[in-house]
Amino acid sequence: MRKKLLSMLLCATMALTMAGCGSNPDDGSAGSDKNGSSENVSGGGASDETVELTLWGAEGDQDFLKDVVAKFEAAHPDQKFDIQIGVESESTAKDTILKDIEAAADVFSFASDQLNDLVKAGALLNLDEYGEALTMADKTLDDVKSANVEASVEAASVNGNLYAFPTVGGNSYFLFYDSSVISEEDAANWDTLLEAASKTKKKVGMTLSSGWYLASFFYGAGFTTGLNDDGTTTMDWNGTSPDGYTGVEVTKAMLDITSNSAFRAIADNKLSDSIASGDLCAVVSGTWDAENAEKVWGDGYAAIKLPTYTVGSGDQIQMRPAYGYKFEGVNAYSKNSGWAVLLAEFISNEETQLEHFKQAVQIPTNKNALADESLAENVAVTAVNSEAEFGVIQLVGGKYWDPAATFGEIVAKGKLKVDDDQGIQKALDELVAGVTAAIE
Amino acid sequence: MENQKKSTAAAAVSGFFKAIGRFFSEFGTAVAKGDIFVKLSLLWWGAGYVRRKQYVKAIIMTVLEAAVVLFTIFFAMKYVPKFGTLGTVKAEKIFNPQTMKSEFNDYDHSFMILLFSLFSFVVWFVAVIVWIKNTANVYKLQLMEEKGEHINTFKEDIRMYVGEKFHITLLTLPVLGVVVFTLIPILLLIFVAFTNYDQQHTPPTELFTWVGFKNFITLFGGGGLTSTFGYSFVRVLAWTLVWALFATFTTYIGGILLSLMLNSAKTRAPKFWRTLFVVTIAVPQFVSLLLVRNFFADNGIVNTICANIGLTGFLRDVGLVSTAYIPFLSAPGWAHVMIIIINIWIGVPYQMLIATGVLMNIPSDQLESAKVDGAKPFQIFVKITMPYMLFITGPALVTDFVKNINNFNVIYLLTQDVYVTTNQALANSQAKEVDLLVTWLFRLTQDYYNYKMASVIGIVVFIICAVFTLVAFNFMIQGDKEGTYQ
Amino acid sequence: MKTRKMKDNRLSRIILHNVGLGILAFIWLIPIIWLLFTSFSANSEMNTSTFFPKEWSIKYYIKLFQPDTVSQFPQWFINTFVVACATCIISTMFVLMVAYATSIMRFPMRKPLMNMAVILNLFPGMLAMIAVYFVLKTFNLTNSYAGLIMVYSASSGLGYLIAKGFFDTVPRALCEAARIDGCSEARIFFQMVIPMSRPIVVYTVISSFLVPWMDFVYAKMILNAGISSKYTVAIGLYKMLDKMLINDYFTQFCAGGILVSIPISILFMIMQKFYVEGITGGAVKG
Repeated sequence: MRKKLLSMLLCATMALTMAGCGSNPDDGSAGSDKNGSSENVSGGGASDETVELTLWGAEGDQDFLKDVVAKFEAAHPDQKFDIQIGVESESTAKDTILKDIEAAADVFSFASDQLNDLVKAGALLNLDEYGEALTMADKTLDDVKSANVEASVEAASVNGNLYAFPTVGGNSYFLFYDSSVISEEDAANWDTLLEAASKTKKKVGMTLSSGWYLASFFYGAGFTTGLNDDGTTTMDWNGTSPDGYTGVEVTKAMLDITSNSAFRAIADNKLSDSIASGDLCAVVSGTWDAENAEKVWGDGYAAIKLPTYTVGSGDQIQMRPAYGYKFEGVNAYSKNSGWAVLLAEFISNEETQLEHFKQAVQIPTNKNALADESLAENVAVTAVNSEAEFGVIQLVGGKYWDPAATFGEIVAKGKLKVDDDQGIQKALDELVAGVTAAIE
Repeated sequence: MENQKKSTAAAAVSGFFKAIGRFFSEFGTAVAKGDIFVKLSLLWWGAGYVRRKQYVKAIIMTVLEAAVVLFTIFFAMKYVPKFGTLGTVKAEKIFNPQTMKSEFNDYDHSFMILLFSLFSFVVWFVAVIVWIKNTANVYKLQLMEEKGEHINTFKEDIRMYVGEKFHITLLTLPVLGVVVFTLIPILLLIFVAFTNYDQQHTPPTELFTWVGFKNFITLFGGGGLTSTFGYSFVRVLAWTLVWALFATFTTYIGGILLSLMLNSAKTRAPKFWRTLFVVTIAVPQFVSLLLVRNFFADNGIVNTICANIGLTGFLRDVGLVSTAYIPFLSAPGWAHVMIIIINIWIGVPYQMLIATGVLMNIPSDQLESAKVDGAKPFQIFVKITMPYMLFITGPALVTDFVKNINNFNVIYLLTQDVYVTTNQALANSQAKEVDLLVTWLFRLTQDYYNYKMASVIGIVVFIICAVFTLVAFNFMIQGDKEGTYQ
Repeated sequence: MKTRKMKDNRLSRIILHNVGLGILAFIWLIPIIWLLFTSFSANSEMNTSTFFPKEWSIKYYIKLFQPDTVSQFPQWFINTFVVACATCIISTMFVLMVAYATSIMRFPMRKPLMNMAVILNLFPGMLAMIAVYFVLKTFNLTNSYAGLIMVYSASSGLGYLIAKGFFDTVPRALCEAARIDGCSEARIFFQMVIPMSRPIVVYTVISSFLVPWMDFVYAKMILNAGISSKYTVAIGLYKMLDKMLINDYFTQFCAGGILVSIPISILFMIMQKFYVEGITGGAVKG
């Protein structure tokens, strides 16, 4: 009797709530079964039912997306929509989505390096299976594939299947510099660049404690990273590259740069701050910092491809940046997958891409949009586009980032000695061991 | 508050088992000696009450029984049978262009199976207790009837819930809340520690299943994995304990000293001063800590000032700093010390408030007689004030220590996205020198979806806290027997 | 002789003592002062070269009240306020109920329940978070304030110890007398014990009211649809420090922090008195 009231309430509440929510986890199937019988416009797909979608985009793109959604709704006047726009930056999309795929937005934008993890987790629709949805927009998937730059379509595909629509290209980094103190020739290689900088008492900044930036040195020397089917990463940085350079040589070259007093290693999230502080005369960053750099350097503002660096025997090696894209993906567990595919396609079409460039300097992947003359006037765009031919699409698994960031930090902090070949080799071995570790 | 702590663990355990024994013997007697209605109420919970004319109760029990049965058939049976495998059917879908929707198969969701099975177990557990209790009760009613005692009407029963059974009324909702939002989640994650729930096995696309003690073996260095969980675990654990020790005692002693200062007769306008200190805890931590983090950033304002006054240069000459800035929050050692100092900044005003409350009650006769005897302020502090404080706030001190072991906010807000470790072995298992066990497990779940290892770490944290608490309380129980201050 | 010496030193000692306090208070307040000054800066980004802003302006306070897609401070404030009020009511009830039952009443399950509470408090809350999320999702309560309120208040009963300590000081004889007079436990609770326990009630109300203003971990997890207008103040401000936004919003973050801190500080000032009294009461019985 003692605990009866308590127990009674407990059971009753649970029984009730359970009964109410019991069908929740299967909502996807239950929902689609029900709707299977609802009336449809034959051959089309527009129905009386309001289509509810959520769309995630970066903070800075919110107004832009609002316009796009309005246009999308206008393009399908027969269908009622309720489209919510949420904030989720492209760089963190994967983290949020994988926490709970079913709770993630129907359509979201993400950076290309997250594609493999998202596909592996089953978070993305295989668009090749959903090509039919595009008939509503009088298109086929092949139209989309041919409209965009081949490299971007390839980057958005896994095992020959397209998993996302390319929307933004040139998601990479290059060199911004102040042309009033550094000439274009100086900016071509690290030695001259640092020398020119040291004369002005200003610094050359670059982020090393991030696997994204760090890799440019190693990719330049011919080293690679790769992704296995089980999600583990392959890496050869502790050996000798196909170009004949050793990882130790590359690390030594980096140490030469970081030990120069004109060099400043900048923490990953402090780049914008550092540019704004005005202490720098050159910095490795991407289009998102163009405005910042222009504000600080005014007329001297200039941008160019990454410099070359000097390796052991005196060879000049062109740094090869991790070259990425931004994609628009569709949630595999979306309740309205067909319309979600249409919306994602709409966001990636020529007109929207061009508009995105005009509003937020996001470089298109659409061939026609790329040919637009407004692009050629932008120095940052020119710089990043010039890297397209040697940029590397970075294929790495989740285990890559922490060990790589740590290796970068070790180099940046000068914890390795240039003449300590064994120490450098050991650090590289450790790096490779961590990156290639099995995913437990 | 202290009285409860005096019951030793052994007594609590034996008392607990005695209660269980009593509980079952009541049930046994009831089944053995009860009349046909008592026995019938094993099947139909309401039977005994109908016989004693407690119809409302009979209805309630019948409805309750029906609810449990319905729950079992329509809900529990969907999940519990799959508990052994945690699901076998993977999600598949095809696109239906007619409806513009995906059609899914009836797939299994391992996490839901785990969660709902657990729900079912809890409900069944409670139901069994109700069933046993119900039988004993009905038997009690039978005895009462045989003796010709008054049997309560429903109204009288209800009235008991504001009378002698008021505690049931009071505790029902809070306990229910704790069960659903604390107990079940904790049990769930204890289960997860025995599964392979990680990035490779994340529902809804993939299934996970039971793996036994494999994760525990991995944590303690076995399993042959290249990643160095065992190594990192020892480092992180060591810093967690050092941190908890320093964080607890620095703020504790700082709080007492500050409160002594504020409450000294020499202080003018003590309320004004106290308010100034309290303002620092009134600013939400995510604001003040994020701010302080930027304050002490490598290119932050403090570094600029230090460079301008030449402190940075001096430290470089001494060899304490090898960079162009002072790595307040970005190098091991520096960061450790800074985190503890910043925690003093946040924690001392709070402890000061507590100490103020406690010190108001310090027996003034003792202080007076000490002063008459010519004791110096320092002696008074060591001989009278501190023992008194320790006696009163001892249990709170233990709780604080446990709280600091789990102090997520300070570490996370100060170091997340800022601190990059240079220890490769730590980095290979996603740990940092400044991580506490909780922040490590938080990142394992948030960034690496490694729920199984996070759960294992969580269990280890719990064991550490439990052992510490038990030892500390037992120690204190021995210490306070004199009852000097009662 | 000794007393004379003390007298001589008295004035200088008092001055020294208060100056010492002043210095300490100043050190304690430096970051807060910096926050205040920075919030009046005319630049949107962090100032790392000087302590004081180069140009002063209140434009970022004004901007806080002109919502854009990132910053919707007035809306966040209302959201948080609603959540805080509900949390405050439920938590206070739970805490006082548990405290009364464990302190004033005697019943067989009392000890086991209290021991359970001690054990549950030892588990790291962060660990249970992901499970709490799925429990809420099961009940369709993610992205809703109801879910947030539940998370903040459902387990609040576990934090009953301070209130219990205070109730323990209520003279037992008084309760016994009332019981003999035929008062029900409910009446003793509502009409005797609660009115006698004003300090602890006020303390509980304020401290539970503050929870939603301070928390960002749970809020971030539960309000995961990314809809900015649904945020609480804590996540809204936290997101302003995203690396893409920090340069445009740092000063607004500071201004927002100040605006949130003002009401909280006032509550804290009220609370410190009751808090001290509550502790004092709780400790008297030793």
